[in-house]
Amino acid sequence: MNVVITPAMIGQVVISGLLSGVLYSMVALGLALIFGVMRIINVAHGPLLMLGAYTTFFLYSAFGLNPYLTVPISMAVLFVVGLVLERTLVFRVIEAPELSSLLLTFGISIALVNAAQLAFTSDLRAVEYLTGSWVIGPFAFSKSRVIAFVFAGALTGGAFLFLKSTRLGKAIRATSQSRDVAMVCGIDVGAIHRLTFGLASALAAAGGALIAMIVAIQPEMGQIWTFKSFLVIVLGGAGNYPGALLGGMLLGLVEQLASLFLTTQLSEVVAYVLLVIVLLVRPTGLLGGRQT
Amino acid sequence: MRSLALAVPALALVALALYPTIATGYGLRAVLQVFTWIALAGSWNLISGLTGYVSFGHVAFFGAGAYTGGILMASAGWSWPVAALLGGVAAGVLALGMGWTCLRLKGPYFAIAMLGLNEVLRALVSYFEGLTGGGNGLSMPTLDATVPIYYAMGVTALAVTLGARLIIGSRFGLRLMTIREDEVAAEAMGIPTFRHKLLAFLLSAIGPGIAGALTARDQGYIEPLSVFPLATTITMIVMALFGGKGTVWGPVIGAIVLFVAQEMVWARYPYIHPLLFGAIIVAVVLAMPRGILGLLQMKYRLPRTI
Repeated sequence: MNVVITPAMIGQVVISGLLSGVLYSMVALGLALIFGVMRIINVAHGPLLMLGAYTTFFLYSAFGLNPYLTVPISMAVLFVVGLVLERTLVFRVIEAPELSSLLLTFGISIALVNAAQLAFTSDLRAVEYLTGSWVIGPFAFSKSRVIAFVFAGALTGGAFLFLKSTRLGKAIRATSQSRDVAMVCGIDVGAIHRLTFGLASALAAAGGALIAMIVAIQPEMGQIWTFKSFLVIVLGGAGNYPGALLGGMLLGLVEQLASLFLTTQLSEVVAYVLLVIVLLVRPTGLLGGRQT
Repeated sequence: MRSLALAVPALALVALALYPTIATGYGLRAVLQVFTWIALAGSWNLISGLTGYVSFGHVAFFGAGAYTGGILMASAGWSWPVAALLGGVAAGVLALGMGWTCLRLKGPYFAIAMLGLNEVLRALVSYFEGLTGGGNGLSMPTLDATVPIYYAMGVTALAVTLGARLIIGSRFGLRLMTIREDEVAAEAMGIPTFRHKLLAFLLSAIGPGIAGALTARDQGYIEPLSVFPLATTITMIVMALFGGKGTVWGPVIGAIVLFVAQEMVWARYPYIHPLLFGAIIVAVVLAMPRGILGLLQMKYRLPRTI
């Protein structure tokens, strides 16, 4: 390990970190929404992302659709999947202690992964659409990652705009602040829960669709994203939506820096140590969330 | 009634002690696994069933014990009973460190911190190849010790269950359950909650540590993926939940019933096994969150220390 680390390498690492960071932010925003509104940690978030990736893959390979056009379709499909999951199973554990929701969503998670293995086999698949990089000065920008960055940035921005200025978005935020008061104000809390779960699944699906063009797809690709999204929302402050944005960037940077200075294998460990430190020093996350 | 409640477990114990003399290889191994699950589910119950702190990465202690014991047996040539005890000690030390930092966290935060601990241990074990063999795994010297390990695991399961009986019947257990019901109130009543949680966490780690080292010896080979699977954590939780969390015999009943059910499914439908397991989890959570004994306790006037 006698590699000389040059400023250009650090620059490259920062670029890669920010590029993947926005993807983390977008996917984690979905988890943060569910946690904020329903007080549930959705362990099936990563497998939903995996389903989004497969939707894109099949639309691309079977119908020859431009993979970037499949992003909204994947999102729509998973929005419905999320809606159905909430309506049939998840709504039953909203008031229950956290063990119930953790286990229930874990059960959904392994069922989804197994179903994907049966339906799609465990073969690795790839959407090879935009390969190669743009080189600007000493830095390389992987094409698919840059476009994923743009998409994720736009979708995350759109989600924030939706939360901030539409009536429905305000209803979601009101429900996450206080379910009872929201109900008294005439908000159909059950419908908001369904909508939130659908929206969160759509954000995961967008992540999956974009990742499908970057890494190989397989049924077990999702679980690691559940864990990373946890990290992001805890770093930023659970239930704090702008915090998810910051946390995603931070996780992207930390991972890349760790793989530069240590090894890729340990980047997860570094991210975890960061998580424990943040939890101990600022249990409500960097931007402050709410205690449960 | 009281003599019956004593006679049934006593007879079961005698039968299990004599079982190796007539057992087939498969039967012995199946009962050995049931012992392992009793030890794991019963241990999880000590921290999570009693205090309500959900340890969502309890298999970390199993894995830590397996690797500690495994390294001592494979590299240092220690005999397995000593290595197994040290596996329990190592898991206890890990629990003290983890508990000291993470038991300050509440609710889902604690659950996630434990989930992460497991992932991190797996990454660390894979990374330090010189000591652990990394992804290639660690092979123990060959030794046929199935019957002694059967007894050792049986004693571990028995110790965990008797320990749970002692704790649940004691003031210590009552205080733990007070923490579960309302931690602020417990603190206000003068219970040093942090120390109690830490002690319960320590006790809940020793059983899995020993069971891990015994499993390592029994299988003769361990690798990071085989001793740190999240599915093992979930299985022990579902077993404890199914039997009745916070009770003495709940984890025992849950381990036996679900293991038998799983064996029957596993043998018949290997491809959809995870799908069925997922369905079982969902069913247990939705239909009987209090478990068999919890339901019985509600319906009949049963003692708390059942």
